[in-house]
Amino acid sequence: MKVKGFLKDVGGASRVTKMRQELIANGSPVPDPKDPIRALADALHPGKQDFVVTEVREASPTSTTYRFSPKNGHVPVFQCGQYVNFYLTIGQSVLTRAYSISSAPYEARLADPYFEITVRHNVPYLVPDWFLENLKVGAEITAALPFGQFYYEPLRDSRNIVGLAGGSGITPFASMAKEIAHGTLDVNLTVIYGSVKHTDIVCGDELQAAADACPDKIRLVHVMSEDEEWDGEKGFVTREIIEKYSPEDPSYFFCGPPVMYFMIEKTMKAIGVPRRRFRHDAAAQPKVTLIPSFPEDQIGKEYQLTVVRGIHEDVIPAKADEPVAVALERAGIPIDTHCRGGKCGYCRSQLLAGDIFVSPVNDGRRAMDKEFGWFHACSAYPVSDLRIKIPIM
Amino acid sequence: MKFYKDHYDVVIIGGALAGLSAALQLQQKGITDILILEKHNLPGGLATSYVRNGIEIEATLHEMMSIGSKEDRLKVGVFFDECGVDIDWLKVPEAYRFVEPKKGIDITLHAGFETMANEIDAKYPGWGPKVLEFMQLCNTVYDSMNILSVTPMSKVQMLLKHPEFVKTAGYTATEVIDTFGFPQDIVDILSPYWIYVGNPLSTLPFTIYAFLMADYFRGGSYVPKKYSHEMSMKLQRKAEENGAQIEFCQEVEKILVKDGKVTGVRTKRGDVINCDYVISGAYPNKVYTQMIEPLSEVPAGAVKMVNGRRLSVTTASVMMVLDDTPENLGIKDYNIFSAGETMDTDEIWKQNQTTGPYKYLTSICLDLANPGATPEGMCQFSITNLPLVKGFLELKEEDYYDFKRKMASEMIAEYERVSGVNIRDHIVEIEVSTPVTIAHYVGAWKGSIYGFSHSIDDHAVARLQMKEQDHFIDGLEFAGAHAISGNGMGPAVTNGRAAAKAVIDDVANKKAAAEKAAAKKA
Repeated sequence: MKVKGFLKDVGGASRVTKMRQELIANGSPVPDPKDPIRALADALHPGKQDFVVTEVREASPTSTTYRFSPKNGHVPVFQCGQYVNFYLTIGQSVLTRAYSISSAPYEARLADPYFEITVRHNVPYLVPDWFLENLKVGAEITAALPFGQFYYEPLRDSRNIVGLAGGSGITPFASMAKEIAHGTLDVNLTVIYGSVKHTDIVCGDELQAAADACPDKIRLVHVMSEDEEWDGEKGFVTREIIEKYSPEDPSYFFCGPPVMYFMIEKTMKAIGVPRRRFRHDAAAQPKVTLIPSFPEDQIGKEYQLTVVRGIHEDVIPAKADEPVAVALERAGIPIDTHCRGGKCGYCRSQLLAGDIFVSPVNDGRRAMDKEFGWFHACSAYPVSDLRIKIPIM
Repeated sequence: MKFYKDHYDVVIIGGALAGLSAALQLQQKGITDILILEKHNLPGGLATSYVRNGIEIEATLHEMMSIGSKEDRLKVGVFFDECGVDIDWLKVPEAYRFVEPKKGIDITLHAGFETMANEIDAKYPGWGPKVLEFMQLCNTVYDSMNILSVTPMSKVQMLLKHPEFVKTAGYTATEVIDTFGFPQDIVDILSPYWIYVGNPLSTLPFTIYAFLMADYFRGGSYVPKKYSHEMSMKLQRKAEENGAQIEFCQEVEKILVKDGKVTGVRTKRGDVINCDYVISGAYPNKVYTQMIEPLSEVPAGAVKMVNGRRLSVTTASVMMVLDDTPENLGIKDYNIFSAGETMDTDEIWKQNQTTGPYKYLTSICLDLANPGATPEGMCQFSITNLPLVKGFLELKEEDYYDFKRKMASEMIAEYERVSGVNIRDHIVEIEVSTPVTIAHYVGAWKGSIYGFSHSIDDHAVARLQMKEQDHFIDGLEFAGAHAISGNGMGPAVTNGRAAAKAVIDDVANKKAAAEKAAAKKA
């Protein structure tokens, strides 16, 4: 082998070393700690931030909207349908709870930026009515956003969106409708919204205002299950109603309670909606009695949970019919849950000993995690005494 | 509450492949008092996967090099075997299909030097033997590199035992390829892997190029059955079985240094952890400008080093789940490199300093190497380019999501144009990653994935020779794409082992010095 003559060839290693020495000798002696890419990543995903409640208003007779303004003046860009995670200090526990953002993305880009959530009263998701009782104007709270993949993705979804909503599951579509009306989201939105009575409609006025402003792009269909006075659609959100109001080649987006999800999922299959045309939000895990194959004989049992964090160990009680994450919260051990439905994996934990039942609803575990016993604490239930390891928070 | 011991022998920053491999190498030599701190909530860094609506999607791995078959294990495969890390490797069916429409080139090459030489000969009759000769040169250089990277020897010895390596070490890939007199079409066909180091052939050291060619064509490449997360999880589990403590969600913010020597680290949470050695997965650029505490402990030479060297490429990738089988979609190949405009890597390099549209793409259909990787009736498919971070530096938060969609849309359009396959109407899930994604999940400096540029003026051979002068703080080693062997998941393992070896040697030297001093005193 000869490249340019023997002597030149064998001197190559010394030559490249000299080149590298020169390269480094010519380097600036001034440190440059700027990393604009990490700065952008941190702006898009700032993690925990402090917010102040700047407005509380009725969204319906049975729900309230809360406005949160950032103490540092920055709300990260989010997309309609994404959620915010709150860190609530209640007693000795720090609870994490996720809510879909009900305000529009453009409102977070105003001179005084904010985001809003809309919460139904007396829902056992949290300590019931914690927001209503504790979040007055001026209150401060820690939150992180945005999270979740429940948003319109133009590279995948049809521009004709049908939002199927139940109860407070309307909030992603309220966000979407407001963004469309603002002229910053170019889709056609049909909202089919199931409520019990018209007084239960959440964000009704805002939805109506957006539809009135954009009648060619936004259509509202309310469906009442138990409202004799209602002169619109009645009953449940059935196949007939969905087909009646669906435009051509729609992308269906569902957000609502688990029971309704099970129904809608069946309906989608019956209609023959292709998988890529049906999206659904990461709902929190349903009650155990609604989880398919949940071992019923476990209900009411209690186990011992040994929790390893670093070299530290705690032993706490855990109810068999509550997710491991709830046992941790009750004991005041922080666990960073986000979606609370098994999907997102933020509360990924390691099973060291014992047996768990993992809800098959929205099981978001990786194959290797399943094999090695890693689980998502928000959707796993003890069926024996457990020894687990979780991240130090 | 106390989550950490008062002191560890070694703290490893980052539980990616390099960090985990460093731990395993240390453990093999009896250093077991190890703490690994990982920023994310899972191991592996970029060697990972994610789940969207119940479908697990490979995050980054195209093909793992240096594994080899069970019969002919290569360097990384041997190391995993020695450590008792048993990964379910699946062989990638072909090396690559290369498509360059403007020249009418469309050829598929398979592993095996003779096999690929014959495949080229079939299209360019008479050239097979010369191609084989070329591949054998690559292989000889490859063998030498594997020996020399762990066995120091004198220059004379090197010349006697490794003459081809010595004689090509000072040249670029182009300079050596040119001596073979191949027609340009064949040069193009032998060039696609350049993107796996992200440096144009005109300034890429031949040895690095030869390493890629020999490694991939010798034994083929592999993917783990359960995505690259399988590899990461099995390395983690073995490191833990061997006694290492691994903590997730712990970003190290500071490396504590006193009188030129590492004393410990401080995490974002505020934990201060004492140790004798730190192996840093964080880039030297970040370590020497942000992390060393106090910064006055950073020698001027360290700053000049990170400022003088150039960062290599980062990633722009579109990952999709498609709603049909590869067969029905018309996707026939695991791995296609497409040169939509030109195969002149200097020209592509210029394009890669922008945010697109990109015309040199690599596309992967995982299911063709790993049947069942995606639920029945679907498949996962990714399109990737490896551009420089330069084009991304001015991105604004407000424009970011629109930008990502535009970039992805252009990459999909280019793939569809070159392949004739319709992707757009079959997308079930789609995620787009950019340098910002990398920075978010693994915290790498400027979203880099490939460390420092593998260019002739920052040659791995020179890095090895300058190891001592690149070492600035006692007890601080580096393991990641930014270390001597550079980028890629195979080299990540090698880099981790090299960092461990530096620690092991230093421990031995200090022990010997102490014994000598004690003997003298006695």
